[in-house]
Amino acid sequence: MSDLVTAAPQDTTTATYVFAVSRTVDPSVLAGLPGMEEGAPVHVLPCGRLTAVVQAVTAAHFTEEAWQARLSDPAELERCARAHHAVVSAAATCGPTVPLPLATLYRGDSRVRQAMADEADRFTSVLDRIAGHVEWGVKVYAAPAPSGPEPDVAGADTAVKGAGLAYLNRKRGLQQRRHHRHEEALRAAEAVDAELREFAAASRRLRPHGQEASGRRRVQVLNAAYLVAEGSAAELTELTGLLEARTGAEIEISGPWVPYSFVGGA
Amino acid sequence: MTDIDFRQGPQDSYPVPGPGSSSLADILERVLDKGIVIAGDIKIDLLDIELLTIRLRLFVASVDTAKKAGIDWWETDPALSSKASRNALEDENRDLRRRLECLESGEGERTAPESLTEDSAG
Repeated sequence: MSDLVTAAPQDTTTATYVFAVSRTVDPSVLAGLPGMEEGAPVHVLPCGRLTAVVQAVTAAHFTEEAWQARLSDPAELERCARAHHAVVSAAATCGPTVPLPLATLYRGDSRVRQAMADEADRFTSVLDRIAGHVEWGVKVYAAPAPSGPEPDVAGADTAVKGAGLAYLNRKRGLQQRRHHRHEEALRAAEAVDAELREFAAASRRLRPHGQEASGRRRVQVLNAAYLVAEGSAAELTELTGLLEARTGAEIEISGPWVPYSFVGGA
Repeated sequence: MTDIDFRQGPQDSYPVPGPGSSSLADILERVLDKGIVIAGDIKIDLLDIELLTIRLRLFVASVDTAKKAGIDWWETDPALSSKASRNALEDENRDLRRRLECLESGEGERTAPESLTEDSAG
């Protein structure tokens, strides 16, 4: 009996991967989802007042070493992230759903039930908090710096003061223009965030994305998430349209998301 | 949502709420960083993995991008830059300002040491 715990890693011992926790989930919304690995289906695991969305996976494939290898491979990283996200999103079609981070694993279903019982109050309060709400992502981009020769902004009197001063003034002008662009981008980002915070029930700042992720030649100056009432997509779109016109910044919205950014109590 | 490389994925066929073609970066920052953390039986240190793969690949790149675009205030963000580069910029700024002040006072009163002016011009 106790051999299960100490069995060799190449055996077929399973672990239970947990995607999300809800009150109820209609099992049919999970049908056909591949989950983390081929084999066992993604299914619901009733845990008292809560329901966990889980999948039995081969324990040997989900050790820390296996994760290190898996998540260092961009293709595998993407597959896992999207598979996890697909299950979380499917479960959320049935009601408020708390996502768990990638790679939450237990030695078996009974261990999951135990953990859910231990954390039931925490899950319940978060489920209440996010009920009727969805997350929207909002990104603000600054216009790229103009290319071409720098205009002489130092003033006409520099001409008579020699090359040294002209050089320094050019350097100073460059610094000032950078500073100015910085201030403008910052102002636009803060203005957008302030308006959206008024509109939203809660907000979070996320780390801005680099160009590889954000695409084109543009700089992301705000990456934020807002918890808003379900069904307010049209209002949000209108508001961001107005803010775009007012600030001159490029604004991009994504959603609705399961409220990933608003379930962690920290 | 403009980078095609980060939008390909198998999820579009599911009836999921939310962005049908979400960018990978958007998904990663949510499934890795967010969600309720509960102690699992199998300990996975995602922070290390995240630092190695995600931050380097997707986020730290923004420092170079921002510099090229002429917005270098990222450098004051300790998450995105080393202290050294920030200090270098501050030092250069301070040095330039000092030299400019010397020059301007020299032009006005003609009392600045000659060596300073020559140094600045070169």
